[in-house]
Amino acid sequence: MRSSVSYILSSSTSEPNMSHPDYEQYSHDHASLLVLVKHIGTQLKPKVFSKYFDRISKLASVRITDSTGTVRNILLRYVKEYPVENNDWGDFQTHRRLLGLISLGKYDSQQELNEICRVHESFKVKYNTTLFDSRCILFGPTKDSESPSDENPTSSSSGDSENSSENKIEKYTTPSNFKTRALFYDVSSACLDLENQLNEFVNSLFWVLDSKRVERSREKLERVSLLLAPFEKKDFVGLDMESRNNKKRCTGRMTKHLGDLYLQTGLLAESITYYSQAVDILKSINDWLWLGAAYEGLCAASALVLYPDMQRNVPLQRNASLQEGSPRKSSQTPPAIGLLNKKTISNALIPEEISKKYREAIIHYSKYQNAGIIETEASFKAARITVEQSHALQAASFLQNVVYINLQLSEQEKIQRFETLADLYSQIGFCRKAAFCLRLAATRYVSPQNPSPNWSRCYALMLQSLSGHHLNLDPVEMRAADQGWPALQIQLIQELVVAARRTGHSALATRHMTFLLQTMWPHLNSTEQKELAVQLQSLSAQCEGSPVPLVLDSGLVVPPANLTDIPLCAAFTPKDLQSHLRPRRIESNKQDTGPFLFTPIHFGGGGSLDRRSRKSISKLDFLWVQNEMCEVQLKLVNPLPFELKVSNMRLLTGGAVFESLPETIVLPPDVPTSLTLSGWARESGELELSGYSTHTLGVKSNCRLRHMPVSSNFPPYYKVQVVPTLPILEVSTTFPTYVSFSNFQDENTVTSASVSLYHGESIECTLTLKNISDVPVEMLDIEINSILEHSLQDQIFKWDNEEVQKLLPIPPGESIGVTLLFHSAANFLAPNVAVSPTIPQDMSSGPFSSMSPSIPGGSLPSRYNSSFRSTNSGQSSLAAGLTSLFQQQQLSTSVEAQLKLKYSGSEGLTSEYCRSCSVFLMLDMTPSLQVTNWDVLPAETHSQFYLVLDIANLTGQEMELQYTPTKTMLIEGHESCRVPIPVDRCPLSKLSGLYQELNEGNVDARNEIDVNKICSEHITDLVVLKWHLLGSDNRGVASLKGITLTSRMLDIVRMSPLDWEVKINGDVVKAQEEVTCEAGDCLNLKMSIVNSLQKTLQQLTLSVQFYQDYENGTLNYRMDTRLATAGCTKKLFSSLEPQAAVDHECNVIFFTPGYYKLDIQCCAPECLTAPKINPLISQGHVWRFTPTVSFQVN
Amino acid sequence: MAVCAAIIGKDNSSKFFVTLNPDEELHFQYKVLSSLDIIEDKLATGTKGGADTKELYLGMLLSLETYKIYGYVTNTKIKFVIVVDSTNVVLRDNEIRSMFRKIHSEFADIVSNPFYIPGEPIISKNFTTSMKNIMTGTV
Repeated sequence: MRSSVSYILSSSTSEPNMSHPDYEQYSHDHASLLVLVKHIGTQLKPKVFSKYFDRISKLASVRITDSTGTVRNILLRYVKEYPVENNDWGDFQTHRRLLGLISLGKYDSQQELNEICRVHESFKVKYNTTLFDSRCILFGPTKDSESPSDENPTSSSSGDSENSSENKIEKYTTPSNFKTRALFYDVSSACLDLENQLNEFVNSLFWVLDSKRVERSREKLERVSLLLAPFEKKDFVGLDMESRNNKKRCTGRMTKHLGDLYLQTGLLAESITYYSQAVDILKSINDWLWLGAAYEGLCAASALVLYPDMQRNVPLQRNASLQEGSPRKSSQTPPAIGLLNKKTISNALIPEEISKKYREAIIHYSKYQNAGIIETEASFKAARITVEQSHALQAASFLQNVVYINLQLSEQEKIQRFETLADLYSQIGFCRKAAFCLRLAATRYVSPQNPSPNWSRCYALMLQSLSGHHLNLDPVEMRAADQGWPALQIQLIQELVVAARRTGHSALATRHMTFLLQTMWPHLNSTEQKELAVQLQSLSAQCEGSPVPLVLDSGLVVPPANLTDIPLCAAFTPKDLQSHLRPRRIESNKQDTGPFLFTPIHFGGGGSLDRRSRKSISKLDFLWVQNEMCEVQLKLVNPLPFELKVSNMRLLTGGAVFESLPETIVLPPDVPTSLTLSGWARESGELELSGYSTHTLGVKSNCRLRHMPVSSNFPPYYKVQVVPTLPILEVSTTFPTYVSFSNFQDENTVTSASVSLYHGESIECTLTLKNISDVPVEMLDIEINSILEHSLQDQIFKWDNEEVQKLLPIPPGESIGVTLLFHSAANFLAPNVAVSPTIPQDMSSGPFSSMSPSIPGGSLPSRYNSSFRSTNSGQSSLAAGLTSLFQQQQLSTSVEAQLKLKYSGSEGLTSEYCRSCSVFLMLDMTPSLQVTNWDVLPAETHSQFYLVLDIANLTGQEMELQYTPTKTMLIEGHESCRVPIPVDRCPLSKLSGLYQELNEGNVDARNEIDVNKICSEHITDLVVLKWHLLGSDNRGVASLKGITLTSRMLDIVRMSPLDWEVKINGDVVKAQEEVTCEAGDCLNLKMSIVNSLQKTLQQLTLSVQFYQDYENGTLNYRMDTRLATAGCTKKLFSSLEPQAAVDHECNVIFFTPGYYKLDIQCCAPECLTAPKINPLISQGHVWRFTPTVSFQVN
Repeated sequence: MAVCAAIIGKDNSSKFFVTLNPDEELHFQYKVLSSLDIIEDKLATGTKGGADTKELYLGMLLSLETYKIYGYVTNTKIKFVIVVDSTNVVLRDNEIRSMFRKIHSEFADIVSNPFYIPGEPIISKNFTTSMKNIMTGTV
């Protein structure tokens, strides 16, 4: 667009030049009358002045009916400043002439009034050449408006100064030489007639102008003088003014001038005609400058026809709407006119032509260096028209042209140029270009060429240019959007930081630098990162950054910038309480919730359908306790290459009140560092952990999880349920702790106790529970957990629960002791002694000696058994057996158990929470003694029997064994010995139940076991083996619990249901006594049986049998050749009533000497016929007379 | 021939930027960024017309005092921008077009790379060299 001829045609720069561009011009201004509104004196406040200026400005157009009756629409333009130099261009474009002057001033005294008038006059002189009329609006002192009657005459201010001065109080009169019409107002009053006054003022301007127009139009075109632009004056010196060319030039220029005048006086159609003519004339003589002006005029007039509504700027509109009630008859009418114009004025340019012609005009202007400002203004005007036409690209090209025009401008004007460019660019939607221009403008404010740098303006413009670079001051949105060109954004923010710093807003500088680091971190290289971090540190030294929004004077809010990446959070894990401190629900009886345990339908909640919600992630499945230290573990990475000190780190929480403990940490570069942030919830309820706050590089930041980078995958917050206060117990025991924990314990364990006990030994342990919290313990539950069988466990661990409950509550700081009894319960019976009650040949093979070696064992214990039982067997075999036993038994067993304490108190108890902790108990049980074998022997009396025990001392120490209240014996370590213990036989009363059942026929296999059990318990109750280890002074008790008895043994153990009385030759047989007789002697056996049962026995068979025991396991019953019996050896009694007695008698003769034994037994064979065989008497139960009677026959 | 070339994603963020003189990169970034306004405008008007959407070459976007900026838009709204020294009068429109076509095919290659995530800035030594070759006309 720009022509290279510009420098050729234009003369040197010393020419008078229009040096003050008016960037705000619209093409419509070509048609408007220029009025200067001036603020005089310092009394009038700028705010009041601008209020009045706005009010005056609303009168932008006035409709005036001329002499022919045509309604003219007169446009007005008001300016606050107008350089006189521009006035000189009035010939070139008449709208540049200043036609009117309105000055506003306020006075308090006559002197001030005089001064205002003087200044007003001086302005009149200044613009003398072009000024048509002027007004002076004067605001008097407020107190002067005391008389209401005064107001009307004052404000109407009829006519001249004398008149008004009359109405005023004498004191205040304008000087006599003041020729301007003065309008007196009161500042506080509404100035109702101001608009009328202005209207009248505009009218006066119009009529003068119109008269000039008429005057000009009547001039003969041939005779007109040459109109010149200010810089042209020298060009035409010495030229032939009378040349035809020059004539044409004069005519052309005058025609164009007329066009201007017609345009200003509201005659659009005529002006277009004149402009068109001027174009033709000027084109022919190559008068480029004026041709350009003619084109521009043509465009301006056409634009006025096409776009009468093109508005200057929005603020005016806004003001207009605010003062709705104020009178403004004459304004706001152009739309109607516009429509009218469009129809009537046919010679206007079509829209496409306007920009084309404007382009041409600009090209012509560009040929003159001195017309630079005209060109610039034309470009802006053209751009505005194309904006109106919404031809963005054309507008852009016009605006682009502005940049190329080389003007000698002040910095201020250059800045203005960029700001206007930016404004227009943003209007056409070129936000990037606009931002670019704003940034340029901003840098101009502080460029070295600028004599008066203005950093705050620079800062303001920089801020405006942010949006064009897709920069948003909110770091959160910024990171979410991640748009724009990082390199440019970084530069811009850096400039912004500098501007803010130089402006003196250290807080803003820190904020912006923080923002830069926060948002641009990934786009910075490591050196930049380091540098910027250091810069931030130095900036924040002046003003610390804090996470609060900053409000600028302009009302802009700068949102807080938080450094979430410095240091970078790699992990954020709320920690559960230590296991033993965790609150647990107190299990209560489950409430009946109906038959449905689970329903997929959640009424009202809608939760089940909303599966995507992240609630499940953020809600933590553990509980925290009020007033108790809670912890969150962080893993932080310092991305900077130097050590970073992060101080005052706290947790950010929501919901329940939380007191956070500040932490300070120094992070080495690039090494992940773990840190625990802790605090106390001071309230129960739901606690939201939303992040943490830091103070690093001098900036306080609130790093919220939801603002963390997406890659780190944090939920927006973590929710933890905080339960009310619970007490804490400290548990200690009197026993040493067990060092190596086994797998049996869990992390609940707070302490441990280990003790080593010999089997049968007991020990007391005191468990000290100290309440170290501030609330009392009101509930305490103790239980033991182990893998042991329940009954056994109860034997080993004992405590008095009622005693414990009596100790409650435990007040804060107090402690109680709970006594726990440990008993090393064990089976003292050798496990491998297979004394099975189902040994079949027990009965048939001579059972008379229960200690007989004939008792066949299983294959495994046989060796040991035999060696042990045969008292006469070699010592070596016994020793060997024992050794193997000791080796086998040496291994001590250990019992692991867990003492579980459940306790609660205070509010926690009411909300049904408790704590549970456990003590790990380790009981080492070493074998003390063992009963390796046992048997029963009939005692001397019927009421007792001997329990013969082989007792092995499994310890290495000498053991004193007290096996009856009066008898003790010593056993060497690892030795064994046999003790007989007299025991009362199991009375029938204990067994009677069984016999009754027996009769009823509903007995089964259980009975035998029951009998066994009853007898076993009987023995266990009566036999107490107290042992005492002499070396280590350990004492204990061994029990025979679980002893098993064969049915043969059972017969001995329990009282016989039959009372026997056996007489030989009339003498009662005594136990353990031998009957001595000669071979061939006849012995009379007399026996009587008394039934001591509660019922009648049926079909009893009494039998007498002799046999010989060879003492080697063989019993010989074949006695035919050795003896003979007279009388029955068997006798049947059909029934035996309770307490009834039966007798039997027979005789025997031994043929050969020897050792004989007599077995007298009583059978109850009726059971053989019974369908259900009672195991008690399955082989025809036999009651024997014990002990067997022995005969020594000589 | 060209002094600067840029590839701009459909969200108008810079995907690739190369200048012959690395010191001037920021300077050129401003120019290219400004030219985006014009591309956007052209695209907006272009879609209105609808007829010549096939034409990917946008022609000259901006003519500055020292540089000319040319634009090219793929069907997926990826923009290629070339900045040419305006003193270089030898360069004809046709050559600019062929330069764009070469860039387009290079870009297509990059996008076909399975290791390239579409939408990410392009960081590839090979691509940079081939782009530089296109710019200097050595290809």
